[in-house]
Amino acid sequence: MEVVGLDFSYDNGYKVFQDINLTIEPGKFVSIVGPSGVGKSTLLRLIGAFLSPEKGKVLLHGKPVLRPTPLISMVHQSIVTFPWMTAKENVLLSLKTRTFDRDKMEDAASSALDMVGLQGFEDLYPKEMSGGMRQRVAIARSLAGEPNILLMDEPFAHLDELTAEGLRQDIYNILFNGDATLENVIMVSHNLTEVVELSDVVYILNNNPATIVGRIDITMPRPRIHRDPEFDRYLDVLYGYLTKKKGVLNE
Amino acid sequence: MNEALIIVLAVLATTGRVLALITLSIVSGWILAYGAIKNRVFENLFIAFVEIFESVPVITFFPLVLIIFVANIGGSLGVELAADFLVFTAVVWNIWIGEYQAFKTIPKEMIEIAENYNYGLLDRLSSMYIPFSIPRIAANLFPSVADGFFYISVSEVFTVGLTSYSTFGVGSLLLQFLDNKNYVNIALTMTILGIIIILIVLAMRVFTNRAVAKYTVDTDMPIMRRGRPRLKQSATMSAVMSINPLVKLAKYNRQRQSRVDPEDLFSSIARKSRAGIIVGLVGILLLGYLSFEAYVIISSVSSSQWSYLFSQTPSLLYGLLLDYLRVLTITVASLVFAITVGYLLATRRKVESVGIPAIQAISSYPVPVYFPFVFIALYPITTSILGPHTEEAFVLVLGFLSTFYYVFYGFWMGMKAMPVEYNEIMRNMDMSFFKKLRYVILPSSFPYLITGISSTMNSAWGGLEIAEFWPGISSGQTLQVHQGLMKSIDVATKSGNIMLAAWASFLFAIVVAIYSIVFTKKMMDLAKKKYVAEEGIYST
Repeated sequence: MEVVGLDFSYDNGYKVFQDINLTIEPGKFVSIVGPSGVGKSTLLRLIGAFLSPEKGKVLLHGKPVLRPTPLISMVHQSIVTFPWMTAKENVLLSLKTRTFDRDKMEDAASSALDMVGLQGFEDLYPKEMSGGMRQRVAIARSLAGEPNILLMDEPFAHLDELTAEGLRQDIYNILFNGDATLENVIMVSHNLTEVVELSDVVYILNNNPATIVGRIDITMPRPRIHRDPEFDRYLDVLYGYLTKKKGVLNE
Repeated sequence: MNEALIIVLAVLATTGRVLALITLSIVSGWILAYGAIKNRVFENLFIAFVEIFESVPVITFFPLVLIIFVANIGGSLGVELAADFLVFTAVVWNIWIGEYQAFKTIPKEMIEIAENYNYGLLDRLSSMYIPFSIPRIAANLFPSVADGFFYISVSEVFTVGLTSYSTFGVGSLLLQFLDNKNYVNIALTMTILGIIIILIVLAMRVFTNRAVAKYTVDTDMPIMRRGRPRLKQSATMSAVMSINPLVKLAKYNRQRQSRVDPEDLFSSIARKSRAGIIVGLVGILLLGYLSFEAYVIISSVSSSQWSYLFSQTPSLLYGLLLDYLRVLTITVASLVFAITVGYLLATRRKVESVGIPAIQAISSYPVPVYFPFVFIALYPITTSILGPHTEEAFVLVLGFLSTFYYVFYGFWMGMKAMPVEYNEIMRNMDMSFFKKLRYVILPSSFPYLITGISSTMNSAWGGLEIAEFWPGISSGQTLQVHQGLMKSIDVATKSGNIMLAAWASFLFAIVVAIYSIVFTKKMMDLAKKKYVAEEGIYST
């Protein structure tokens, strides 16, 4: 996937982005970080073609992405499930746009729920589930649609710390376990610890209008330990970019 | 007097009547709703009373109104009060229930703050309950104004037997012009009425925007201040002052200082509970009086009159069945219109910005005022196509025009209230229109749709009451159906057989109340239990 020369302004004329360029190699977990209000979620919506850029383009397999597509699937910050559907029906929703037979769809939904660790909870309604379980349902729904790109907008923001940590530990394996068709995950987050824990590549968004001010490749082996000094070093570098501490960056 | 001036005065009189009665509904609703949340007995009575009367079409009250106001009070005061009462019953119920729901659902934290600082009744109402009810009132204003104007033609002029009663207003004036075939004045009256209605719609839109921006919790809508154009409003002194946190803090401290006398604490709590009991008692007395009036009317009917009424009952019930089929047809047509046009408007911002005010203005313009002209213009061509079913078709069209907007607004509001994330997921999954409808939009807007369908069905009866028997709709012609309960009530009223009209209304009220309990209420319960889209968004 590639993002080339993206410019975007709000309806009121406020220029949000200028010349945003991203190169996303297959198999990478990519994060976008930046100060609050810089436009991280907006950039994610431009990549998913939920918004149209003023200038520039988003390319998937060399072809421009002009409208939302199941190939690029969004997991929202506010955990979105449909309260009138069970967990399985929620997942089936992403399969109903395709012409599967019913049994095949049921199997696909069940295996997506298995993948996120919700086997045995297929018939529960969202209100009978915890926040973490609901977010797993939302992820299963996205994965069942067999996307190439998964967009995650602060996916752990509304979970308590313990639940978020549990899901973070699972998420990389869920997403890149070989059963899924995913090529990339693009996550927006303001939580630098989770960014370092999960990402292969981090793009830093800053300035006004926002541009990409840096790219960091995180090469630490997985699972990543928070107490590892290298983990702290990456955190410092990211923190330096966001607070513009030149000394840290030079170091 | 100059005729143009008379027309303007008549339009203003009618407008004033509608707006004053809406104001009365709002103010009385605050008092009753506060009484209801403070007194369990009164609450149960109030809810039962409002739910039944909200479900029973306004026209059911007509014979009762005639008996109480015209026969008992009489004179121009009686006729004026009859007209006022009819319009009041058209506008009041949804406002009352909206205010009650707002008072009932006010966040616990706000109540605790009021308790914390020992607020008195007036402070609680003015600083918490009333502001919290403003968005609900705003939401109910459009249908109330539309309903109020709709009934002016029935309420300002009515005939009982050989006697015709009328009170000054645009409804009675239009009828007078129609009798004299004064088409220039008719056009002038309709134009002036149209201008006034557009002004009211515009004012209501401003009010609604302000209500949403200022009085709802956690809205993205910017708060607009009074009295300044939008573009410059943020620079005005009042805007700056009103958003200055120091000003707010100062006000807060002043209020707080006046509330901290510990000696007053317990006597104030006792006063509050006494106020609740008094408000509750007043409400119970009001309900008791209405029940007594009903008893007096029923006990005054002799046994021979009862047997006459019973003999008419099968025919009346058959008429009711036919009317239910008409209401069903109107509701289905309204639903199809709502889903197609509502979807179009909710998903296209530019079309919406023109379409919604246009539909608001059209739906507020009383159908009975312009329908005779539609009838005159289209009757020849419709007869050539539909033959003997022509009048039935016109009745259904009038019913549709008088009520489609409830279900339309319901669906449109349901779509607008749908979480934005649902829309993104539908786009993400590239769903077809019908899949969107089936899996997301209809379930998500189900609570709004049920409210809209219920109101449309209730309101359709008013349209049928006017259309099923309309003598003189065009010169020498009467629009009427072959059979229908509304026609029976009309004919009985116009021929002075108030007893039969009241009996038919009574039967009608019972059936509608049963329908409301077994259908509408169950659907609402299902909607509240299962189809609450807000529960689909989980955020801390």
